[in-house]
Amino acid sequence: MPCSGVMPVTGKVMFQGVTSGAGKTTLTAALCRHLALQGREVVPFKAQNVSLNSFVTADGREIAIAQAYQAWACGLEPEVDMNPVLVKPKGNGQCQIMLEGRPWRDLGPGEGGPEIIEGLRAHILEAFHRTALGRDAVVLEGMGSPVEMNLKERDVANMWLAKAVRSPVVLVADIEQGGAFAGLYGTYLLFDEEERDLLRGFIINRFRGDASILRTGIEELESRMEVPCLGVLPLVRFASPAEDSLSLSGGVGGRKGDDVRRFWMKELDRLLEEWKGAWDVNRLEALGLRP
Amino acid sequence: MTHPTEGAQDDSEGNYARHVAMLRAQMERGIVGGNRECPYFPCHHPDQDCTFCFCPLYPCGDPLLGEYVVSQRTGGQVWSCQQCLWVHRGDVAASLYALMPELGPEGLDQGTRERLKGELEGKHRRRAKAIMVLGATSGAGKSLMVAALCRALRNRGLTVAPFKSQNMSLNSVVTEQGEEIARIQELQARAAGTRPRGELNPILLKPKGGVTSQIIVEGRPYKDCTVQEYYSDFVRNEAPAIISRNLERLLRSNDVVVIEGAGSPAEINLRGRDVANMYVAKLVHADCLLVVNVERGGAFAYAVGTLALLDEEERRLFKGVIINNMCPGGGSLGPALEIIHTLTGVPVIGEVPHVPDLYLPMEDSMDLDHREEGEGGTVIAVVRLPMISNFTDLDALALEEGVRVAYVRSPAELEGADAIVLPGTKNTVQDLLWLHRSGMAAAIKERAGKVPILGICGGYQMLGRTISDVRGLEGGAPSEVEGLGLLDAATVFDAYAKRTVQVTGSLAEGGGEVRGYEIHMGRTEGRSPPLFLLAPDGRGEGAWDRERKVMGTYLHGAFDLPAFRRLFLSQAGRKDAVPGPPGDHDAQVEASLDRLAFEVEGHLDLDALLGGDARDG
Repeated sequence: MPCSGVMPVTGKVMFQGVTSGAGKTTLTAALCRHLALQGREVVPFKAQNVSLNSFVTADGREIAIAQAYQAWACGLEPEVDMNPVLVKPKGNGQCQIMLEGRPWRDLGPGEGGPEIIEGLRAHILEAFHRTALGRDAVVLEGMGSPVEMNLKERDVANMWLAKAVRSPVVLVADIEQGGAFAGLYGTYLLFDEEERDLLRGFIINRFRGDASILRTGIEELESRMEVPCLGVLPLVRFASPAEDSLSLSGGVGGRKGDDVRRFWMKELDRLLEEWKGAWDVNRLEALGLRP
Repeated sequence: MTHPTEGAQDDSEGNYARHVAMLRAQMERGIVGGNRECPYFPCHHPDQDCTFCFCPLYPCGDPLLGEYVVSQRTGGQVWSCQQCLWVHRGDVAASLYALMPELGPEGLDQGTRERLKGELEGKHRRRAKAIMVLGATSGAGKSLMVAALCRALRNRGLTVAPFKSQNMSLNSVVTEQGEEIARIQELQARAAGTRPRGELNPILLKPKGGVTSQIIVEGRPYKDCTVQEYYSDFVRNEAPAIISRNLERLLRSNDVVVIEGAGSPAEINLRGRDVANMYVAKLVHADCLLVVNVERGGAFAYAVGTLALLDEEERRLFKGVIINNMCPGGGSLGPALEIIHTLTGVPVIGEVPHVPDLYLPMEDSMDLDHREEGEGGTVIAVVRLPMISNFTDLDALALEEGVRVAYVRSPAELEGADAIVLPGTKNTVQDLLWLHRSGMAAAIKERAGKVPILGICGGYQMLGRTISDVRGLEGGAPSEVEGLGLLDAATVFDAYAKRTVQVTGSLAEGGGEVRGYEIHMGRTEGRSPPLFLLAPDGRGEGAWDRERKVMGTYLHGAFDLPAFRRLFLSQAGRKDAVPGPPGDHDAQVEASLDRLAFEVEGHLDLDALLGGDARDG
């Protein structure tokens, strides 16, 4: 350890979505890929994922396929610490909770009291610190909307985590259904002071057409939220492992005879190419991802 | 020749005597409804009641119904009620007729007139209450919320009409009068128990590909223009008058008008270009409701953000937020909802559950990619043309048990399909070129004779030998494009004319009722035997080449009644395709509307919503 006493600092940024399916998973994978291609050692982290699409790591632990995909984007083998809590809905409101890749217990609707939440939080923080140790950067992915006010006390994956590890936050909104400005601004208004302090920017995803039409709206939002717009990303049809039923996308074709993981990475590289100039990667990196 | 009541009436003695004489004649005739024999009919609108051509309450002096104007003849003040539609409502006319006392030559004195008017006001609003449903996003469930409210209010005996100032949709229907409106407004009209007509959806935009759209005004093709022209010219200069005159007429002839917004009212980059949301709300001081879809999460954020981005005057119009698509039986979002009220001043007035298994046309969706509907063994592949339109044609098929409708765009996806449908398109020529380019044309031809292939409207045109756009009407240079050649037919676009008509008829072979509507430009002529025989004269429609199993028709909605569904599915190898329920499309839709209205009313306080007097917009 250097005698100066300066610990190597791991950079962090967290993508939170205005809704489910806003594009957090893809954005996380894309930023991971971008950093990895620059030779940075980067890892993905999602505290809790609700998904029926899972992957098994080399040591036999079950994590969400989305985090495995993000690991490949980093050029890493998937590790259980990238997704310490996996919730698998079983129907009838019952869920199986996988903790650190192993079945832990089933929870019914309304179950999950404070002691359970505290237990999960402890596991999540440990996993985060293990996975971040020695790495240049961690790209964190939130879960659903961070301002479901009825669930805030039970949050283990959004602002609670961002506060606990002091991670800058970038909000992502899907504009395809309209109302993106309202969704972003409403999320901001529902944040408390400390949360607004962690918020560093927003991104508009899945835009079709000429982005200049959004200019006045973006300027108004930047001044109301006091953070910059870091990108207007065009809608790109591309293939990735489906994360949940909301984002089921059809086959694009062309993966015949190829290892599907290699195909997904090719697709991700194509996405990065298409996004070039549409997002401000420099400013994103400056949030704390640079050495 | 002028209409007998046209212009301000004259209140001089002699004129009033003539007025009374006409009144007495009216009373003798009894209730007439719409007087189609009158050379002036319809002097207001096609639904008017003509029982009281001369109003027994004249001059009522009610500023909601008329105004004093300067008489051109005498220069004095005279009461004018040319724009009053109150007494021309069927329900109001019937009430008034029942209340009318014996009418002598001296007419009614003022006291009697006031008493009659008071009694009528107790039963009927003079001017409709305006309720407006806005969505935080597209797909929040506005359209069905409007339909539910219309049905629930109608069930209370109120006269109701839906209204949407501007709709962008490729799913349109043709009304009895040959007017074209969005299909969803037709459904809402049905829910309200009122006749579907252009005035309910006075501006309809139909994207034609690229940046061009066709504008339909009051149900008739008006012109084509670019998005740029639409906003910079049409919205600014023409839309306000079109919206006002139609909405005003509805307000004067109903108890309640339920207005639907478009998309989100908080698209702050489009401020000043809105004619579909807060512009309309402010115009008529509507009581506004914000519908937020809870399914994808972020409901708190969308509710708070939408209201916070509006200005104070707009926000004050909102009476409540409705959280929509709650999980049935899944409980409430609880006391946390109060924060929406605290931050915006607008309370959450209802959490409405998702109503499963509704037999209703799906909401507009431009995102059909790889959509699959229905489930089961028989797969109907619908070619996902780039400018696909009227895909609601397939709803009735998808609702059949054991049938799956898949929207496909690549040749490989046609493999294994039990039938292929080439649907309607807003641009036949461009989409036909795409079919050739994408390899879909060759793949479809290869399947001919093996599985049934049906072309509807633009799809029918494509199945023929050629399409000649001799004047470049489809947006491009004049051209002749080769079709798929599966039907011995040729289509010519030679005039900027559009056929919009409702038709009924029967299957050409074996009978069986068929109903539908045509919306198309171009004419198709061919030698194949017809698919349908249309009323009233048995004219042949469409084409059916049995050997190749290829069918073509211009009829949208042809699957709505069971006969053609049965024929088509039997061709697709479904021997058991005798449909039980859902058999009668109409009955299913009615039952679904009632169920929807029941659910919504169970989770919303409709009385509170109706409370307060009609506004003097």
